[in-house]
Amino acid sequence: MRILLLKIMLICAMPLNMLAQDASPAIDGLLAKMNSVQDYSVQALITSDIPMVKILPSNATIYFKQKDKFKIDSKGIAILPKQGFTDIAKMLEDKESYTAMMMGTETIGSTKADIVSIFPISDTSDLVLAKLWIDTARDVVMKSQITTRSSGTVSIVYSYGNQVKWGLPDKMIFTVDVKKFKIPKGVATDINKTRTPDPNKPASKTGEVKIELSNYKVNLGIKDQVFSKK
Amino acid sequence: MLLKSTRNEFIKIAAKPRSYLGLVAVTILVGVILFALKADGMSFISFVTASFEQTLSFEGNILNGNLVAFIVLQMLVIHIPLLVALVTGDLVSGEAAMGTIRMLATKPISRTQLLLSKFLAGGVYTLLIVVWLGLMAVVVGKLLFGSGDLMVLNSDGLVILQEADINWRYIGGFAVAFLAMLTVSSLSITLSCFSENSIGPIVTTMAIITLFIIIGTLDVSIFDSIRPFLFTTHMAAWRSFFEDPLPKDDIIRSVVILLAHNVVLVLVALYTFNKKDITS
Repeated sequence: MRILLLKIMLICAMPLNMLAQDASPAIDGLLAKMNSVQDYSVQALITSDIPMVKILPSNATIYFKQKDKFKIDSKGIAILPKQGFTDIAKMLEDKESYTAMMMGTETIGSTKADIVSIFPISDTSDLVLAKLWIDTARDVVMKSQITTRSSGTVSIVYSYGNQVKWGLPDKMIFTVDVKKFKIPKGVATDINKTRTPDPNKPASKTGEVKIELSNYKVNLGIKDQVFSKK
Repeated sequence: MLLKSTRNEFIKIAAKPRSYLGLVAVTILVGVILFALKADGMSFISFVTASFEQTLSFEGNILNGNLVAFIVLQMLVIHIPLLVALVTGDLVSGEAAMGTIRMLATKPISRTQLLLSKFLAGGVYTLLIVVWLGLMAVVVGKLLFGSGDLMVLNSDGLVILQEADINWRYIGGFAVAFLAMLTVSSLSITLSCFSENSIGPIVTTMAIITLFIIIGTLDVSIFDSIRPFLFTTHMAAWRSFFEDPLPKDDIIRSVVILLAHNVVLVLVALYTFNKKDITS
């Protein structure tokens, strides 16, 4: 009887163990590729389609330097999701803070991707759940969905071009939660407001930010002052 | 004759110390706002963008001269009528109180031309106040805070306008703001024709503006039919120039209603002044 129970427990526990182990090579490969980039700068064209926000496409220069120096230099105003650029690398680096599990595979476009779920170990962590679709053949993230307590859920779809060898995307499409957006009363003083919003118009719950990246300069060295300049 | 009389009226305005109160008040008020924004402007911006910044981050110079000018205008355009009425409400009644209106009426100029010259001089003074406000807000604002894209918060959400697309909006906005202030000037001069003391028309003008603003902001259906025709409803029409897409119909409606108010007020004033038995 004891042996039978032990066997049942082993059978139940085995897939989880195996799945958790299976996620490691995918994550390690991804981290190795991410860490191969010491620094980069890139031109970005940012196009936002966010409910309650009207903004024309804007240009910016993005700078990154290991480990976590990141700066966006924009002449005009640009709107970007809070999460997305360095969060995945930061999250995956601290292996003690999460449990990764392989959840299967999915084909994105024509690329087969492994689905890895990341669960935080700490109850107080800002991260609630992260899902990564990893192309293990090229060691790049094809898609990510990160849910945090502070920012809600942000999904990102990545497209790669000639910088795929560095794991750097040519295009990123962010989908963000906009349920939390509220206009503070009293600040928006439309005393001439004679129009009322159409109540029948469905309120969109998500917004989209598309970032097209071009003219990468990878591992050419970026001075630290670039990140400290206002 | 009309132009000469207008020039004389403007000289009279320039000779009164109270005429400079408006310019000094605008300078001090704008100075205080600019100082406050320079010292702690980002916390003001954070208050506005707080709910967006949980998910999104705003990159670039948000607190720039264009935004500062917009904040200054939003704060002051509602309060400028007092400064305008302080001078224009006195143009007829002040002379009646001093007894000089009788002498003026004996001059070889018709009462219509005499009153029109007062309206024109009041209009020039109003233009000066609005231009001074514009210079202080836009020019000094840009000098202190630099230039950049403009982030405007409307009740519909955030609108971000590119730097190259802003100057014409300020010009249009100031033109409509001037028309709104001109209506205040016309109202106070018209009320001035009914009075023989200086304070009455000034206080009455402000009382009417306050009443109309209360009616305009009270969300009660009984006022729905009259609200669009109150000139105070269109006093903030300058903001429409900072919407995207530009609500042309709304702007045209506001301009037409403000112009109609001016025409009606001038006609009422002309009728009253021509019929007035000047005994002072």
